Amino acid sequence: MTFGAMAYLAYRAIVAHPLKRLLRQRGTGEARFRAAYETEGLAPTTEADRAIGLEAQACIACGLCETGCALAAADPAIRALGLHAAFRLYGRNPAELPLAAGALEACAGCTGCEALCPTGVPITRVVGALARRAHGARPGSPREPSPSPAARDP
Amino acid sequence: MTPTPGLLEVDVLVIGAGMAGAMAALAARDAGATVAVASRAPGATALSSGAVGVAPDPTASPDEPLAWLRAPVEAARRLAARRPDHPYAAVGVAGLWRLGEALRFAARQLEPLLAPPLERPRLLATPAGNAVRAALCQRSMDAGDLLAVRGPLLVCGFAGHLAFDAALVAAGLARYTPRGGPEVGDAEVALPFDDPAARPHELARALEPPGAAERLGEALRIPAGALGAGAILLPPVLGLDPAARVPERIAAAAGMPVAETLSDVPSVPGLRLHAALEARLRVAGVARVTGEAAGAPAPGRAVEIGGTVVRAETWILASGRFVGGGIARRGALVEPALGLPVQAAEGREAGVHLARRPAASLTVRDRRAPQPLLSAGLRVDAALRPVDDRGRPVHPRLLAAGAVIGGHEQATDGSGLGVAILTGFLAGRAAARRGA
Repeated sequence: MTFGAMAYLAYRAIVAHPLKRLLRQRGTGEARFRAAYETEGLAPTTEADRAIGLEAQACIACGLCETGCALAAADPAIRALGLHAAFRLYGRNPAELPLAAGALEACAGCTGCEALCPTGVPITRVVGALARRAHGARPGSPREPSPSPAARDP
Repeated sequence: MTPTPGLLEVDVLVIGAGMAGAMAALAARDAGATVAVASRAPGATALSSGAVGVAPDPTASPDEPLAWLRAPVEAARRLAARRPDHPYAAVGVAGLWRLGEALRFAARQLEPLLAPPLERPRLLATPAGNAVRAALCQRSMDAGDLLAVRGPLLVCGFAGHLAFDAALVAAGLARYTPRGGPEVGDAEVALPFDDPAARPHELARALEPPGAAERLGEALRIPAGALGAGAILLPPVLGLDPAARVPERIAAAAGMPVAETLSDVPSVPGLRLHAALEARLRVAGVARVTGEAAGAPAPGRAVEIGGTVVRAETWILASGRFVGGGIARRGALVEPALGLPVQAAEGREAGVHLARRPAASLTVRDRRAPQPLLSAGLRVDAALRPVDDRGRPVHPRLLAAGAVIGGHEQATDGSGLGVAILTGFLAGRAAARRGA
């Protein structure tokens, strides 16, 4: 009995499971990740996303950018949250990023905030990248083949 | 994209437009030199409390701030004697001797914004209900000097403005009542407009149009009358533009002196200070360049900043510390503009070449001990020239001013803007002398 159970477990671990994995493998790692997790709102972190995240990390939440943001007074979505809060709170949390989508998409990209940032965060680029991510990560929405922001800029 | 970058030839190039850079530029301009100031964005000055702390009194009890009456210059001298790594000590006795002159120069340059200096420091309330010393403060804060308030002080917040808790401030200031401070009461008034999400700078702008400040002043009459108040302390949002005279208009409508507290970030008084420095630079005829000065060569050589080529015999590096970007943390600590060695700190770490160590190893567990990371920066000689690791000046015509000079924790030790004013003033005067 004990021997039979152990033999069965060994067969599962050594032969059956690896074989099953080998035969079931389809697509690249990213495709399988997306198939498994995208419905839960989790998008994979690409190299470009990581670069943007590192640049956004320089934010010290001083709020100086808001004094140069015309939309911060006008658009209710940005008003409630503030753009710098949007990328601080949600930039590293893909599952909650869609909550900030309204604020991110309302940004007109005027770059008025960027000249005010003491630590030099490229706010427009961060907001643009997060907006694309928020758009891509929203369940059920058509995902655009996200262009790498690093490649676009010289 | 500019096809042909303009060439700007001046005597002095200042990198950084915070308090230190602006003071350096104005002091050099005042002494007859032609000056250009390069900056990327507002820095730590725009995030400051809005008042100028020069030095805490190192011999006074921290629990008795109302007894800290030693004049700012004398307090700075005592601080320098106790802390050999502090910039006040680095500039030498002769340099520190000119602190009074530097402060009077700063007060004169920012005359419409700052209240005239007193012999003693002013004791001003913070939004956390503490009293701190200020050598210079804005006119909007003057009436809140705890030693000058006649009669009870009413701390009044605005309903829905979450950045300011009047009850907290009043409870904090009430600790000083038995030690010579005023009686304190607290209240809350509705704003003359309805916007619960208003940011401090929006509140400040909303108080500027005719009628808004007056309506607020009249609303303040009721709680002030109930307390029999002699002065009213409000959140630091009393107008962005000092020309709108918001505090004066509220005071006239309320019938008693009105002041604002110091600010934490986001800081309306800090924005006011930044705007006043920018305006003063414009009036003084200082050329402005917007852009980053990363990887710059040495003074005397041409450097391209934001599409403009600038050539100057003397450079003053006033790029700030971690907020302004004068010192950056990229694994280790670096000085990005010229690649100078980062080596200054305080206490046991003084003089160690900090750039060779990972930044994470520069903090110590004891929260009240000096943190080497926070006082990291350049080491300078008495003439404010940055020195290399053997103690020799890196370049004879390269000077440093403000928080980029290490040896003090400029954000917390109460001497930040005082160091900026002194070192900026000395560097500007020295640069003009060499340029002549």
